[in-house]
Amino acid sequence: MLNQVPEAVVWAIFFLPLGSFAVISLAALLSVGGAIRWNPKLSGYITVAAIAVAFLFSLWVLDSVLQEDGRPIGFASHEWVRVGDLTVNIGLTADGLAAVMLIVVTSVSLLVQFYSQAYMHGDPGYSRYFAFMSLFTASMLGLVLSSNILQLFVFWELVGLCSYLLIGFWFYRDSARRAATKAFVVTRLGDLGFLSAILLIWTQTGELDIARIQELALTGAIGSSVIAFFAGGVFAGAAGKSAQFPLHVWLPDAMEGPTPVSALIHAATMVAAGVYLVARLFPVFAVSEEAITTVATVGAITAIIGALLGIVATDIKRVMAYSTISQLGYMMMGLGVGGFVAAIFHLFTHAFFKALLFLGAGSVNHATGTFDMRKMGGLARYMPVTFIATTIAALALVGVFPFAGFWSKDEILANAWKDQPGIFWTALAAVFLTALYVGRMLFLTFGGEYRGGEPSEHGDHSAEPHESPWVIALPLVVLAALSVGAGFVNLTDGFEHLLGGSLPQEARELQTESGFSFGIAAGSVALGLAGLGVAWLVYGLRRVRSEDVREALQPLPTVLERKYYLDDLYEGVIVKGVVMGVVVWGLGLWDRYVIDGLADGIGAFARTSGERLRLAQAGQAQVYGAAIFIGVVAAIAAILLANP
Amino acid sequence: MDSVNRLGPELILLAMAGILVLGDIAFLVTGERLLQRKRAVLAAAALAGTAGSLVWSGLLVATDTTGEAFSGTMTVDKFTLFFNFLFAGTAAIVILASVDYIKRSRFPAEYYGLVLASAAGLMLLASTIDLIAIFVALELTSISLYILVGFVKDQRSSEAGLKYLLLGAISSAVTLYGMAFLFGLSGSTGLGEIADAVAAADEGERAAYVLAAVFLAAGLGFKMAVVPFQMWVPDVYHGAPTPVTAYLSVGSKAAGFAVALRIFVEALGDGFIASDWANMFAVIAAVSMTLGNVVALAQTNIKRLLAYSSIAQAGNFLIGLAAVAANDPQVMLGTSSVMFFLATYAFTNLGAFIAVIAISNKIESDEIDDYAGMARRSPLLALGLTLCLVSLTGIPPTAGFIAKVYIFNAAVQADLVWLAVVGVLNSVLSVYYYLRVVLNMYTREPLSEEAIPLSPALGFAMATATVGLLVVGIFPFPLIEASEAAAAVFG
Amino acid sequence: MSVGLEHFLVLGAVLFAIGIYLALTKRNAVAVLMGIELMFNAVNVTFVAFSRFVESASPLTGHVFVVFIITVAAAEAAVALALAVLVYRNRETINIDEINLLKW
Repeated sequence: MLNQVPEAVVWAIFFLPLGSFAVISLAALLSVGGAIRWNPKLSGYITVAAIAVAFLFSLWVLDSVLQEDGRPIGFASHEWVRVGDLTVNIGLTADGLAAVMLIVVTSVSLLVQFYSQAYMHGDPGYSRYFAFMSLFTASMLGLVLSSNILQLFVFWELVGLCSYLLIGFWFYRDSARRAATKAFVVTRLGDLGFLSAILLIWTQTGELDIARIQELALTGAIGSSVIAFFAGGVFAGAAGKSAQFPLHVWLPDAMEGPTPVSALIHAATMVAAGVYLVARLFPVFAVSEEAITTVATVGAITAIIGALLGIVATDIKRVMAYSTISQLGYMMMGLGVGGFVAAIFHLFTHAFFKALLFLGAGSVNHATGTFDMRKMGGLARYMPVTFIATTIAALALVGVFPFAGFWSKDEILANAWKDQPGIFWTALAAVFLTALYVGRMLFLTFGGEYRGGEPSEHGDHSAEPHESPWVIALPLVVLAALSVGAGFVNLTDGFEHLLGGSLPQEARELQTESGFSFGIAAGSVALGLAGLGVAWLVYGLRRVRSEDVREALQPLPTVLERKYYLDDLYEGVIVKGVVMGVVVWGLGLWDRYVIDGLADGIGAFARTSGERLRLAQAGQAQVYGAAIFIGVVAAIAAILLANP
Repeated sequence: MDSVNRLGPELILLAMAGILVLGDIAFLVTGERLLQRKRAVLAAAALAGTAGSLVWSGLLVATDTTGEAFSGTMTVDKFTLFFNFLFAGTAAIVILASVDYIKRSRFPAEYYGLVLASAAGLMLLASTIDLIAIFVALELTSISLYILVGFVKDQRSSEAGLKYLLLGAISSAVTLYGMAFLFGLSGSTGLGEIADAVAAADEGERAAYVLAAVFLAAGLGFKMAVVPFQMWVPDVYHGAPTPVTAYLSVGSKAAGFAVALRIFVEALGDGFIASDWANMFAVIAAVSMTLGNVVALAQTNIKRLLAYSSIAQAGNFLIGLAAVAANDPQVMLGTSSVMFFLATYAFTNLGAFIAVIAISNKIESDEIDDYAGMARRSPLLALGLTLCLVSLTGIPPTAGFIAKVYIFNAAVQADLVWLAVVGVLNSVLSVYYYLRVVLNMYTREPLSEEAIPLSPALGFAMATATVGLLVVGIFPFPLIEASEAAAAVFG
Repeated sequence: MSVGLEHFLVLGAVLFAIGIYLALTKRNAVAVLMGIELMFNAVNVTFVAFSRFVESASPLTGHVFVVFIITVAAAEAAVALALAVLVYRNRETINIDEINLLKW
């Protein structure tokens, strides 16, 4: 037990990665100018060191918060801007929720940065990469620590900006550029809602401090319609950032960025910021029936939609992306059914096993040069460490006992079971679908025979793939250990205790209490195993038979043919044709006409008007002069007519 | 002597302008081309003038000197001093930015002289409280700028100069006609006396006051570059030498707002007429923002793009002016928000133009397509320009974000929520074209690998601008306090 | 019937309108400038009329204003003619319709 953490140390958690960003950018700029010689490797070392220290400090924060039973440690706030009546204070929040997020962000970021040193090795943008990653980590930590909603919004935008820069990291690829713009535009769409929510709450209450807003909401000092609109706006922002239906479309494309970026930003931390935001304002949501129902419904829809899309994707990273969408839907759903602790618990475990899945995918890509699962296969033999680690993560994702996902997913289910049967059954269906796509991914990637990979610029990968170097393997092992162990932290309700303290007293009663339910746990594990079994039948067995049996029993491959037929039926007709056909078609329309319409085509519309309007500017000075007089006459007429 | 002391900052600039121009003529007469060859000396002298002006303004602040000058036609107060710093600083950055640009000209002494003279005019505009003095200061600025716009003497520059002059003269005539009516209604040219007359006016005189207010708004709207008085802007910005464009977009626009604040808030603010002009400004603000942003989307030339962007930004400033009168107790908030926005806009836009100057010095093109891959040819310039564009968009942590929050806040407080919403929507729209320039610089293949050199003068100017917008973006408090103190003059 | 303030104001307004008409319709830049000068003089007439008829603590202010306007207008005209010459050298025309290189 250490002394209580001083405020300067908490600030340091934020400023360390920021400093790393500043040092690396400065050094990189100076070295471009030729002023100094800068070994890019140093950029990696600085980033890892800064985040390592931030991680240690986060542990200290956790320790102090534990001593306070998760209640916020009181730090003074500092005046930042004062504009008329608007005073914006900046300050720190250090309570159970923030401490958990700090641990998640710093630990995953640390492992990812470590891993990136090998993954990004030799990339011309090596220093730029680590500069952006440092900036992202700093902004994410700043977001978590914000005590003021405007302060939070600033960091919210900053993580969005970093995400934009990192998705478009390989900007010479057209697809990367498009994906970056799409992500930026879609999330900004949500942010518009968030910003209006901030404006609304401030005009109505004059408060921007999060704790004060919670208090006002709980005491009923704010009208219920204001709360509903405020919560709706906040949720729009959260849905954009956490890729909730129908704003989820940017996340799969975001996989154009380097894989460690996907692991850190688009799996473990930034996309979870939306969930964090809703959790942070949980008391506000909880007092509004409309708001909390919306959160639950959107979360449930997202969980199903994401899982369905995961089944048909062939790019391993896209499968993960859909999986992330689905799991984020799970967390939102958890919050929506009042399971504050369960949702954050799932966020916590998910961060580890999903980061691990991505880093595993990166490791596979490092060996085979492709993300296309149809070109992989049989990698279990060549890459045992990656295989075992990925399998552990996969089992955790499915929710098999005793892996991390089992504990957290179960809590959400148990919460839903209480009084939201519709949500519960949807969630259960998602468990089955999750197992299905996870199984498919595992069998296609690691089962069967190696299907050749793809030559990349790093060298010819068509030869035998090999295990990745230890710099890549070590984070996998650590994350695998966490994917097993993270679930046990709530065994004695320690986690619940820690998080509960971060809610105001009145809000604690608004949560749904839930114990561990053996029936639900057994049922969901059984469903998960069933899903894996189906996947094995379809994808695992097909491999074995289609190659061996086809040659040996060539005259009579009827069973095999039927398997193929089932496979086609399953994937082609039922999933693609019926369910996916409608869903994908609808989503495609949404994507093409609404989202692309905004990205390219606000765009097209505004620009066409722009093209027309600029023609008025014909270079004729006398026309310009006439505009002045017409304006004068119109103004006088308007004023005198409107108000004679 | 008090008068001279109080107007010292302006007088220094005028004196230095005189020295430069007359000295040049003197050397010309004696047949020596000394000054022509020592261009650096000229730039240094001009900079020394602005520095002297800044120092003198600083002394006035330090000694807390306020009061009227020259028989009550001018006043020195916090408001004046705020703009003294703004305009002298702008002139200094413009001079730095001109050093390379003006190398080809045969008349550098006149160039710097005119910049200083117009800067003096801008500063006088912020301090005058009498219609006659306002008119003279306005014309001192304008005539200097007409010549500066046509200074390069090529086809585009001369066309821009002539257009600017003809339209500027028309707008002067309109302003004067408005002033004539104000004089006729109040029997005086002093703003204080006019305010008294407005307070005592009866309903029958309202139409005449509306006429006068609209005529004045048209003349000042020309300076501010708001719809429908903005049509000269793209052509003149396009054709003028780029440092002069930067100067126009910041100095001349800010001066328009300074005078508008003086006339509308001080002389026409306290009467039955205030809600009329506030509504008018609110509509003009909405239209200017929208039109500027929409047409900017279709631009391919960076100078024209920045011209339309400056129209949209002027719409933003006008939000503050509209908020001044819509709600009496909010005079402070509306005014100070405009002043804060003007100050942040000054270094943001100057920074953007400096990058454009540095790049066009090398590639001799202002086409956005030619900015492809600029991040590789000059990382520092690209970064600086990106920061400036981000600030113009209003994304944190830049000064532009604080400025927008400030001014939208003023609108909301004044019950102009619809205007704030239009403003926010327009900010979203503007992302599109600002981002396009950034994407061009960072994501496309450069047309050539040749690096863009950055001269020390431009580098210093650029650094000042970008560091300024970041510092204000993160620690806005000192500047906010200064704006509030300046706005308190009207309280 | 005696000539009063209204008559002068109407005269000023008519002159101002004629000035606008000239400034917006003449094709020659110098003629446009003449239209603008006419607008200035319309303002001068208005000022002098107000100065004569309106009760004021300082009745001469209007006249002083007029002197300033005349002076400044002269300076402006000088610059305008210089720029017109410049344009003519570049383009061999001062026809304002054809000075439209900068547009859109």
